[in-house]
Amino acid sequence: MTETKQGCPFSHTDYGADTEIHGHYALLDAEREASRFRFNDTTERGFWMLQRYDDVVEGFQRHDVWTTRARSAINPDSGMALLPQDLNGEAHLKMRRVINPFFAPAAVKRMEAMAHERCIELIEELRPKGGCDFVAEFAIRYPTDLFLALLGLPVSDGDFFLPWSETLFAGFFGGDPDAAAAAKRKITDYFDAAVNERRANPRDPKQDMVSRLIEARIDGEPISQEDILTVCMTLMLAGLDTTRSALGYIFTHLARDDADRRTIIDRPDLGPAAAEEFLRMYPLVFQAGREVRAAGEFHGIDMAEGDVVWLGIGSANRDPRKFPEPDRFVIGRKGGNQHLAFGAGPHRCLGMHLARLELAVVLKEWHERIPHYRIKEGTRLVERGGQLTLATLPLEWEV
Amino acid sequence: MFISVDAAACMGHGRCYSVAADLLSDDEQGFVAQSGQTLRIPGDLLDQAREAADACPEGAISIVEEHPDR
Repeated sequence: MTETKQGCPFSHTDYGADTEIHGHYALLDAEREASRFRFNDTTERGFWMLQRYDDVVEGFQRHDVWTTRARSAINPDSGMALLPQDLNGEAHLKMRRVINPFFAPAAVKRMEAMAHERCIELIEELRPKGGCDFVAEFAIRYPTDLFLALLGLPVSDGDFFLPWSETLFAGFFGGDPDAAAAAKRKITDYFDAAVNERRANPRDPKQDMVSRLIEARIDGEPISQEDILTVCMTLMLAGLDTTRSALGYIFTHLARDDADRRTIIDRPDLGPAAAEEFLRMYPLVFQAGREVRAAGEFHGIDMAEGDVVWLGIGSANRDPRKFPEPDRFVIGRKGGNQHLAFGAGPHRCLGMHLARLELAVVLKEWHERIPHYRIKEGTRLVERGGQLTLATLPLEWEV
Repeated sequence: MFISVDAAACMGHGRCYSVAADLLSDDEQGFVAQSGQTLRIPGDLLDQAREAADACPEGAISIVEEHPDR
């Protein structure tokens, strides 16, 4: 007999554990098809799993009563402040209004030339070597450089900034907590100095995000230094690991699939559409958490105040009810860009347009310079739990 | 045919004006500039309008036969 909670079968799957590549999607697919809802009991608080596309979208739209007080169902009490994620309702909207213009398509367009330039420089550095660990030597360096440029900071700071951010990320997923805390302090000090420099020498707040954060008023009040630093930290946490992860999955797919790679080589104009389909197929943030702030019913489940809800992004993006033959890579599939890789509702990913640009630029520039490559023989590809990323992706090519 | 954008549902994904650039545009914050409006769709842009409706994860865009205010 299956154990159930209010008719929901239990899930005992620990989604924080590492697996073989694509192992998480296999687990998610199986659980979604076995039942509409589940109750996962592998964490202290447990969580209701919403798995099918329509339910997940509806969950994202319940933002008035399901808040980001638990941003991740797997780790609902992370303790680390994030802005604007920690805000909800009006307060969230006000903060988003301050930052949104810097991530709107028009602003991202302004970064396009630099994105190409930086991408080409990094590829040209690697090309003569005939191989690299794509994850460590390219996929994380590229977004780090763009992030620094976005904040108006020198790209060369990436040399010392990158090891700090990597240590901090590692701390979220089982790494040394003391090292992570020390790295967090260094990053905060670095941002603090940068913000103070801007206070002394303000730039155009329409072009420079830090100057905008300093100048902005919310309900007549300036944003505190602490909150500005939290925003900077949040943008870093949100933008670097995710882009690295996406690139790892995309290049694994293309290294293994000659026909799809040939399409990307022959039709560089398809880059943006290809990136979109990759985002659907391989979402890295495979779940978002929410905390129920007002008890209520959701399609037959009575949820109590304080319950944790799992919004199954990875399950929804591969739900065959929404995306027929979800395992197939179909550039320009009908309705394909309704995927939830960036979430939905007011908390949807702020950096999604920048992410799309970054991915499309890499697809174009890499394949123009290194069209054919393979995964080093004998490599076992492992994906991190919690939030997917590949530990390593050794690629080789002819020089 | 008319295209209608629900202002309350629009969350600024920007998918609609990306696929229907001849019909829709973005505002400074990245939301669709036609938010809250109902516009007549020029005959040659009907496909774009349908794509825009298909692209919105919030279901904020609908294609309707009649202008609702008439």
